[in-house]
Amino acid sequence: MKDYRALVTSNREIAEGIYELVFVLPEPVAVRAGQFAEISVGGAHLLRRPFAVCKAEGEKITVCFQVRGEGTRRLASVGAGERLQVLMPLGNGFFVRPEEKKVALVAGGVGIFPMISVAREYAAEKELHAYLGFRNAAAVCGLDEFAGAKAVRAVTDDGSFGEKKNAVQGLETDLQAGIRPDVVLACGPLPMLRALKSTLEKAGIPGYVSLEERMGCGIGACLVCVCNLTNGEHARVCKDGPVFPIGDVEL
Amino acid sequence: MADLTVELCGLRLKNPVIAASGTFGFGREFDELYDIGLLGGVSTKGLTLEARLGNPVPRIAEARGVILNAVGLQNPGVEHFIKYDLDWLKGKGTAVIANVAGRTKEEYADICARLDGLADMIELNISCPNVKCGGMAFGIRPESVEEVTRSAKSALKKTPLMVKLSPNVESIAANACAAERGGADALSLVNTFTGMAIDIERRKPIIANNTGGVSGAGIRPIAVRMVFEAANAVNIPVVGMGGITCAEDAVEFLMAGAVAIQVGTANFTDPLACPKIIEGLGCWCDAHGVKKVSELTGALRLNG
Repeated sequence: MKDYRALVTSNREIAEGIYELVFVLPEPVAVRAGQFAEISVGGAHLLRRPFAVCKAEGEKITVCFQVRGEGTRRLASVGAGERLQVLMPLGNGFFVRPEEKKVALVAGGVGIFPMISVAREYAAEKELHAYLGFRNAAAVCGLDEFAGAKAVRAVTDDGSFGEKKNAVQGLETDLQAGIRPDVVLACGPLPMLRALKSTLEKAGIPGYVSLEERMGCGIGACLVCVCNLTNGEHARVCKDGPVFPIGDVEL
Repeated sequence: MADLTVELCGLRLKNPVIAASGTFGFGREFDELYDIGLLGGVSTKGLTLEARLGNPVPRIAEARGVILNAVGLQNPGVEHFIKYDLDWLKGKGTAVIANVAGRTKEEYADICARLDGLADMIELNISCPNVKCGGMAFGIRPESVEEVTRSAKSALKKTPLMVKLSPNVESIAANACAAERGGADALSLVNTFTGMAIDIERRKPIIANNTGGVSGAGIRPIAVRMVFEAANAVNIPVVGMGGITCAEDAVEFLMAGAVAIQVGTANFTDPLACPKIIEGLGCWCDAHGVKKVSELTGALRLNG
């Protein structure tokens, strides 16, 4: 983990309200799948914004984000040649055990972005099945990044792209057809993760989720971004997570 | 290079820069980014008698130039800190300021007694809800400020006591004097201002707790004024804080009367804020012919 002065090389809208930001660090950085970066947005904004790293290619880093408020709106206006402060890599990331060969990736909305890093890291050695849910056709992005997966099921809530269902329903369809993963990795809105938890409990399949929370420091010091664990304790999403066994967290 | 050392209640600090409570944990995470032994001191996360889980999330929000937080004193409890973190932190070679939060004046005294002779200094956090006084905060009325300070002081035989004042009060000078009467060896101010930020789409406060403490660059002029008023009201040293982002901000607080300063929210904006401020203070002093940073304390010259 280091705080870098990064040089933005491109920043473009890849789907409705979704931006792909590419920047270059002063040195190559090793990033595990599912780790994130805390990025300054400048101006009067005092808090950095946490985004999953989609791609880490030496010193070249790609993150994607959705415009949600003033901070992300400002970040969307940043252009090539501008500088950003970037604290990274942060968090634990996903880890797939050697014996887990068949891996399902379940993503809803912007939850697809940490899954891109997983698809890139594990495509060569694992049999990947991706279930990617979007609101509608205008929100669909990033599918090319899953080219190394054995199967990609992209669906939308309104049926304007792919089947009209959500990502968890996509997984359930395959489970019923006898396509059973050894482990499921997921990121997405809480209702999706709750549905997934119930599906995986019934099927007896282990799962890991990447959680999102409003953060302060991003390194585990300020205790702002906690989540509730099923054992009654709190964990820090930024430092103990963002990836947790799905059975260990209250969703 | 100017002499950056300062003296605070008999403690010699390497420099006047202290990491503020609640933004820095017990220092371990920031120590992964830089040697926290560089700091004048570290004020720990607020310590309570028993472990506390704190408030529901979201615990943080941002508004222009400021942030709001309502973490709700999540901490592992004072005994856990003493057993697992205190020795490590002392070993870093920075002054360890244990921030203490109780529910009653007896509990403040109990926590202080456990830390007496172990921490380099106690910082009494008196802006927490007080069950015994009908939900009012200890830090609001001068009478309760004096009472809780006296209770804490009675439990401390070795470790000096600094009282952290709330800015949500009628008269900061009156509360500063009350803490001094109660036996405080030093004061620190300001804690956060109570505020609210609303998500207008959902028509709900962003923070789960509805209100939160406002901090960050935007509060600095108010904090400087309050430090000036407090420092002029008492004869004990004052540690200033509130929106300090750079060395120049720190100089402003020193001139207003502070002996040392604390950096909180800036640690989130720039995790290297503290070491940058220390370096910047040295440069500022050198550029302005200041031999000792302690010369700046109270160096303010008011207009006619």
